[in-house]
Amino acid sequence: MESAEDWLVESLRLYQDFHAFDLSEATRVLEWIDDKGVCVAGYESLKKNEILHLLLPLRLSVKENQGLFPERDFKVRHGGFSDTSVFDLKHVLDTRLLVTSGLPGCHLHVWQVTEDSDVIQAVSTIAVQEEEGSLWPRVAIFSSMAPGVLHGARLRGLKVVDLETQKTTYSSGVGDSEELSSLQVLDADTFAFCCASGRLGLVDIRQKWAPSENAGPGPGATARRWCAEVGGRHRGPGPSIASLGSDGQLCLLDPRDLCHPVSSGRCPVSAPSPAPELLRVTWAPGLDDCLAISGFDGTVQVYDATSWDGTGGQVEPVFTHRGHIFLEDNQTDTAPLVTTHTWHPHKPRTLLSAASDASLHVWDWVDRRAAC
Amino acid sequence: MPEIRVTPLGAGQDVGRSCILVSIGGKNVMLDCGMHMGFNDDVDDELEIKAYYAGHVLGAAMFQIKVGSESVVYTGDYNMTPDRHLGAAWIDKCRPNLLITESTYATTIRDSKRCRERDFLKKVHEAVERGGKVLIPVFALGRAQELCILLETFWERMNLKAPIYFSTGLTEKANHYYKLFITWTNQKIRKTFVQRNMFEFKHIKAFDRAFADNPGPMVVFATPGMLHAGQSLQIFRKWAGNEKNMVIMPGYCVQGTVGHKILSGQRKLEMEGRQVLEVKMQVEYMSFSAHADAKGIMQLVGQAEPESVLLVHGEAKKMEFLKQKIEQEFRVSCYMPANGETVTLPTSPSIPVGISLGLLKREMAQGLLPDAKKPRLLHGTLIMKDSNFRLVSSEQALKELGLAEHQLRFTCRVHLHDPRKEQETAMRVYSHLKSVLKEHCVQHLPDGSVTVESILIQAAAHSEDPGTKVLLVSWTYQDEELGSHLTSLLKKGLPQAAS
Repeated sequence: MESAEDWLVESLRLYQDFHAFDLSEATRVLEWIDDKGVCVAGYESLKKNEILHLLLPLRLSVKENQGLFPERDFKVRHGGFSDTSVFDLKHVLDTRLLVTSGLPGCHLHVWQVTEDSDVIQAVSTIAVQEEEGSLWPRVAIFSSMAPGVLHGARLRGLKVVDLETQKTTYSSGVGDSEELSSLQVLDADTFAFCCASGRLGLVDIRQKWAPSENAGPGPGATARRWCAEVGGRHRGPGPSIASLGSDGQLCLLDPRDLCHPVSSGRCPVSAPSPAPELLRVTWAPGLDDCLAISGFDGTVQVYDATSWDGTGGQVEPVFTHRGHIFLEDNQTDTAPLVTTHTWHPHKPRTLLSAASDASLHVWDWVDRRAAC
Repeated sequence: MPEIRVTPLGAGQDVGRSCILVSIGGKNVMLDCGMHMGFNDDVDDELEIKAYYAGHVLGAAMFQIKVGSESVVYTGDYNMTPDRHLGAAWIDKCRPNLLITESTYATTIRDSKRCRERDFLKKVHEAVERGGKVLIPVFALGRAQELCILLETFWERMNLKAPIYFSTGLTEKANHYYKLFITWTNQKIRKTFVQRNMFEFKHIKAFDRAFADNPGPMVVFATPGMLHAGQSLQIFRKWAGNEKNMVIMPGYCVQGTVGHKILSGQRKLEMEGRQVLEVKMQVEYMSFSAHADAKGIMQLVGQAEPESVLLVHGEAKKMEFLKQKIEQEFRVSCYMPANGETVTLPTSPSIPVGISLGLLKREMAQGLLPDAKKPRLLHGTLIMKDSNFRLVSSEQALKELGLAEHQLRFTCRVHLHDPRKEQETAMRVYSHLKSVLKEHCVQHLPDGSVTVESILIQAAAHSEDPGTKVLLVSWTYQDEELGSHLTSLLKKGLPQAAS
């Protein structure tokens, strides 16, 4: 069993750069505010949680002369207090507003980040019509001149509410009670959803509910829960939707044909995931066909889908980040679990990952495969 | 009203340093971040200044300023250990009235020490791998020592052969500092220092300036730290022209030094004799200085348990969140004065008074009141001498001071309408007081007077009006309280006698 010291020495060749931070509380959200800062928030149920806007260490933003920027620390640019737990946080593009969602799931909270103070102020709340005991509404933002908040815990409760007027501008209008797992806005008129069952759909809000969708993964699927993410090139050809199951199955789909995955593979993870709600799959914005997954254990795994045969057999990650396991500070018995991860918007191999022990890592992995 | 006043005065002489004026217990103290450790200074008889060990970096300290029972703890640039736990709580619940802390770094979340060390190792390794020479200018012995241990471990693990040298100037200081400050270093350094001295490192040897010309990779720790003179500058000049080489600056460099220039990006340096030195070697700036971060400050406040917290030298709009955080978590007031602005904190100092055993015994002999929580009135004399407060019995005080005792007696007249004889009036008074003052000793003396404890009540006929009786109530000054109470009671009149 590698010790922390061994791993650190090993890390010299595994990572170009590596930063490890300890937040005062664990976060399940990592939301970019432009490309210089991220928001994190606590998710405890019985106490006040902090929402923090953190600025990345300067050396991660500069392109040259990195060696002359010694500061390796995050700066807390803004902070606020939330009485409820925060499971999701979205930044409303081109504004100073944030929308959060958590438990209890009866309200979404809107916050403002100002220039002349470092306190994040609560601005308003959006009532969620359908309140569910343990379900919390997923949130996605239609950013435009009049931003709208898309939210819902189930398909039937899906709505878009105008942020300013609080009027409902869109409603799914269906009675389907399937639980939602992922929600993502694709452009001014379309959004994608993924249900916990694995059912995927693309919806045009200009029309009455008629999503192009699939019925969910076929018989034989062993996953109890699914999540999905649409990649950046969802308008071009080729698969751009990735769905991840709690059994480790990773499917790639083309939006034009959601019923037949283009490719799939089984990730070598300890399945089933101990916390399926934390499952996360993301597309790398700077690398073609690269994905990252987390939520099974204390690791984040990076895959290159082009190297798959696509038939559903075992696939190998091109990189596994084990930092959260080896740098664990507390002597607790439970191993840390990665709660979320995200890619840096323009540094191709840089990711941020957070774990249940309140650690936050920023890492730039080295691609060890032979360069062509 | 006793109070503590604090006024931050802004940047002092050194860059980043600052001055704070504190007024406590009538004394004025000026705090400057540049202050040196003073151990335990008794500046005057009443003012006590105590330095606390503030972290694993030698030279960073925290101060407690105490006057009587009022205290202020000031923490300047301190390190709350990189490993996130405090070793042996050194500021354990000192509970000052006020904790003043720098908030310059309060909004940072620090990268872990291991990652910063990893970065250092990576840089050194890369340079050495390509055959380059690495110069590390140092000024702080403690830091150089730690980096040496780090490199030694790494060299061992990776089986690296390149030599590592340590400048002799530093080794001479080593033993000297060791003796002075060994109690201030952490267990790990102390243990390592004890186990081996400079010369017992397997891979680290003493430097000789001839070595600088040896071919091949090497690492050298040399003084001074800003490359402004001496050995480090000599080595720098030899190695600067080769792009395979590297210089790692471990700290801030004062303007005007070569260190400062190359860190600003300057690549052509004018040396003495108008010689221009072209710097092709790789310049790296590693920040090893340890500051407290957001989490560290919260830990500190939690440990010290102050009544109030004061943040200095941050921008108001960047401290509001921290202020709220401290107020919410610890339920204390948190202030953030601007430079030049004074914050006044009222305090309630406790003044200890010693009570003489004789007095205590006498009071105890009188028995305890049924209600133990009710404050008990006792008479004594407070003697203040040489900042000492003593409570003694009056007799003892008189004796000590050589004074004669005077007795003071009060007599009050209460008029009652009662046509009967004095003896009967006295009887009525006795019965009445007996029934009302159950917790006191009420007696009817043979001569007709009534006593309540030591207070004497006599009934006399009014000189002009036979229908009125005059009650003479007489007491000594010690019985003032009861005497007054009796008087008001009697003024209300006596209940009608039952027929």
